[in-house]
Amino acid sequence: MTIEIRNISKSYGDNKILQNIDLKIESGELVALLGPSGSGKTTLLRVIAGIEQADEGSGPVLFDDVDVSDVDLGKRRIGFVFQHYALFKHMNVFENIAFGLRAKPRRERPGEAQIREKVQTLLDLIQLGNMAQRYPSQLSGGQRQRVALARALAVEPRVLLLDEPFGALDATVRRELRRWLRRLHDTIHVTTIFVTHDQEEALEVSDRVAVMNAGRIEQYAPPQEVYEKPASPFVFKFLGNYNLFHGRGQSGDGAALVRPHDIVIHRDRDSAGPDARLGLVSHIGFGGPVVKVELETEDKTHVDVEVTTPTFNDLALKRGETVWFALRTQQEYEYDFVI
Amino acid sequence: MSRTHRVIPGLPLTLGYTLFYLSALVLLPLAALALKAGQMSAPEFFRVITDPVVTASLRLTFFASTLAALINAVFGLIVAWSLVRYDFPLRRLFDAVIDFPFALPTAVAGLTFANLFLKDGWLGGFGPRLVEGVNALAGLTGAGPLLPSGALDWLTFPYTGQTGGIVIVLVFVGLPFVVRTVQPVLLEWDPEYEIAARSLGAKPATIFARVIFPEIAPAWVSGVALAFARAVGEYGSVIFIAANIPGRSQIAPLQIVTRLDDFQYAQASAIGVVLLAISLLILLVINGLESFSRRHERTA
Amino acid sequence: MAGAPIAAKTALGPIKPAPPPHPVARTVLVTLAVSFLTIFILVPLVNVFVQAFAKGLDGYLAVFWPPQPAPEQVLSVVQQRKLAEAAVQAGRTWHAIGLTLSVAAIVVPLNICFGLAAAWATTKFNFRGRALLISLIDLPFSVSPVVAGLVFVLLLGRNGIFGDWATHLTWIDPFSLRWVGFEAGFPLAFERDYSGVIFTPLAIVLASVFVTFPFVARSLTPLMESQGTDEELAALSLGASGWRTFFKITVPNVKWALLYGVILCTARAFGEFGAVSVVSGHVDVNDTMPLRIEKLWNEYNNQAAFTVASVLALLAVFTLVAKAAIEWKAARDLPQNQGHSSQ
Repeated sequence: MTIEIRNISKSYGDNKILQNIDLKIESGELVALLGPSGSGKTTLLRVIAGIEQADEGSGPVLFDDVDVSDVDLGKRRIGFVFQHYALFKHMNVFENIAFGLRAKPRRERPGEAQIREKVQTLLDLIQLGNMAQRYPSQLSGGQRQRVALARALAVEPRVLLLDEPFGALDATVRRELRRWLRRLHDTIHVTTIFVTHDQEEALEVSDRVAVMNAGRIEQYAPPQEVYEKPASPFVFKFLGNYNLFHGRGQSGDGAALVRPHDIVIHRDRDSAGPDARLGLVSHIGFGGPVVKVELETEDKTHVDVEVTTPTFNDLALKRGETVWFALRTQQEYEYDFVI
Repeated sequence: MSRTHRVIPGLPLTLGYTLFYLSALVLLPLAALALKAGQMSAPEFFRVITDPVVTASLRLTFFASTLAALINAVFGLIVAWSLVRYDFPLRRLFDAVIDFPFALPTAVAGLTFANLFLKDGWLGGFGPRLVEGVNALAGLTGAGPLLPSGALDWLTFPYTGQTGGIVIVLVFVGLPFVVRTVQPVLLEWDPEYEIAARSLGAKPATIFARVIFPEIAPAWVSGVALAFARAVGEYGSVIFIAANIPGRSQIAPLQIVTRLDDFQYAQASAIGVVLLAISLLILLVINGLESFSRRHERTA
Repeated sequence: MAGAPIAAKTALGPIKPAPPPHPVARTVLVTLAVSFLTIFILVPLVNVFVQAFAKGLDGYLAVFWPPQPAPEQVLSVVQQRKLAEAAVQAGRTWHAIGLTLSVAAIVVPLNICFGLAAAWATTKFNFRGRALLISLIDLPFSVSPVVAGLVFVLLLGRNGIFGDWATHLTWIDPFSLRWVGFEAGFPLAFERDYSGVIFTPLAIVLASVFVTFPFVARSLTPLMESQGTDEELAALSLGASGWRTFFKITVPNVKWALLYGVILCTARAFGEFGAVSVVSGHVDVNDTMPLRIEKLWNEYNNQAAFTVASVLALLAVFTLVAKAAIEWKAARDLPQNQGHSSQ
């Protein structure tokens, strides 16, 4: 199912949470809403779900080109997974998943046997087949997350909405679960939107990323494009570490943003090229496959550089040495946009 | 009102029902009191509440309530502190019975205290009863009477029918307020501050006065205010233990009842307004205290 | 937060490690605390039962079931009069027990409905005046019971604001429904009706509603507020109706707090004295158990007064036990709250 929202705004009093948001999601896509806290990503997700209403004067929310703005939360046929799962704590896993099926009006309600079969299928899908009788308090965080997902899927939603789905989990479980989510999505192909503040997560899992900042979408593109061609300095900065160089723009005053791994260190001037500059190695941080080198330029600014460990070994850098460095690629912006 | 929360159904129904029920059963009756009192002219109102019998009852109510609140202020703090900080036998039982005055009907409380503080009651005649008991025990072991009869005759509290009895029952009904407001603050209190203060060389008394007490003071004051408010309005238990002589030992709520029995509705409502005003005033003070301590917390 | 009936969150944990207490201070303070609680709580409680059993178990039971003379026994006039008097007294006591139960049976369900509605409105929604509404719900706690009775007299009494209407109101006592047999046509009939409000059981109901008004709402509100709305939203998003969400999700989540509120409300409804006394008109048929205690006390029937009191005291003890049990139960359920914090 496609989702399209047009000109959505949302404010609490004077506080503008969303400002004129337009977004179109193709059927079967997995889209990440990425942004820092307070960027409005969760609110946008809740507007799509129908948990929050957009301000007066906003455009429609279209599911398959049908306006659902005035359709109740329960009738939108969305599956919503809350950040803290909101599992019903007095019901066991089975009853949690079966809740939506049992809540259907009598005409549409499946029989008890069908409910059992359906829940069992979902339990197998989330690999918790033998935990049907457990209560939420007896599950780990990752298991709860999967139960919440199965509960949402039980009613065969047209769209799956996940609010910070991995936010409350520790690092290892996060990585595992997001791969599982990607595989799950590839199996069931339901249009999915998830909210995250973790750029790595967004880039790794999604088909497209909407980067949000201060209630606006800064860029909406596939992960690779977002990373390689950031539409704004904000996107560039939000997606990773960077160095900021002033006054190096080709069209007069401006600034350039450079990723630490897009800086190349040379021992001698000739191989470094014409634009190379001098830097003093002020600190070396070892950390696995990448070595972080901190350079101090003549005008006393610090430049972070990342080199692969083999390259570092070839260079045989030492603290206090002076080296040349050159920029491999850079993003240039006019000053107004940077600061 | 934001539209956001309208996603959850039932606001018109529940809010409408709440407002209707509240208005019909609480606000309307209270408005009737204000209206009835409002029908009196100011001098008339003033004359009623300065009637010597009325002023005597208000004075007694205030005096006894203040004394009871002060006793609770001291002992409530001691009880809360002991329960939270010291382990002693039956600690949990003593903690559980704190709520007893909330649960026990006031008539039962009045009845049992009135009986206890009779001249020859267990507490009213504490000294002689103690001598009796000790000598009876001694008699069982075969020894002669240990204490001469009349040895402890000075140790008596024959408070039934006296102001002391009123204070006693008011202490009882207000007892849980101080303990239950101070206790949560003490429970949350992190003893690390004390360890730190102690390591800096402060004496325990200094630590209590300078470090702990300021922390619990707002809760303590509002607990005392609550106990006072409760005491001012208390009726059931007091009329059992007081002599209830007009002008001497009638509390203000009893004055209302007396006036009602004489069909002096205007006078009754005037005294009622005074009592209501006092409780609302205390409510305001407590709310002010709470918002003050919240602000204080935020800036701290 | 004025007039908290029974404060929440006071459950004692283990003693936190603190600097070692001063031994003398410790002994003095614990002794003072224990003596204070013993004199003001334990001794009065024990005294209720001691006095109630002052004439032994037979004397205790005689308050409710006066001794029946053996049929062949010849009684003097004095004895006969004594027995008749005892029978009348026991009848009044039973009547008071019946009235107390009937009043509670009306008051408690009313306040449960109100408490649930009020808690739902004030915790699941945000609207202007919400804080004021919460304070108003608490208001009856800070009103003197006598004033609570007084306001109904002023509203519905003979010279009251709605006095004309109220004194001419005729209503049927729902608890007087009796089987009258088929001769009368319909086999069920109400045996009693009343006219007027003040000085009738209806006024006792109104006064009891007033004084027990906040209990259920007050015990639900903090919990429902801390639970947030996520679970309700989840249920609604799964297609559940509002009622289904309320009964299947919200109510089970607050069941212990609800039970606690109901117990407090019941205890207060059984035990209210001041407000009920004012509107009862001191008529024997309007006596609830606490009013009955006062009458027996005034008649110098000490042991009977304490016997009736012992029933209410037992109820108070049960209330405290229930409180402890509910706290224990709620604490046991608490780990389930992890990962279910409010938004």
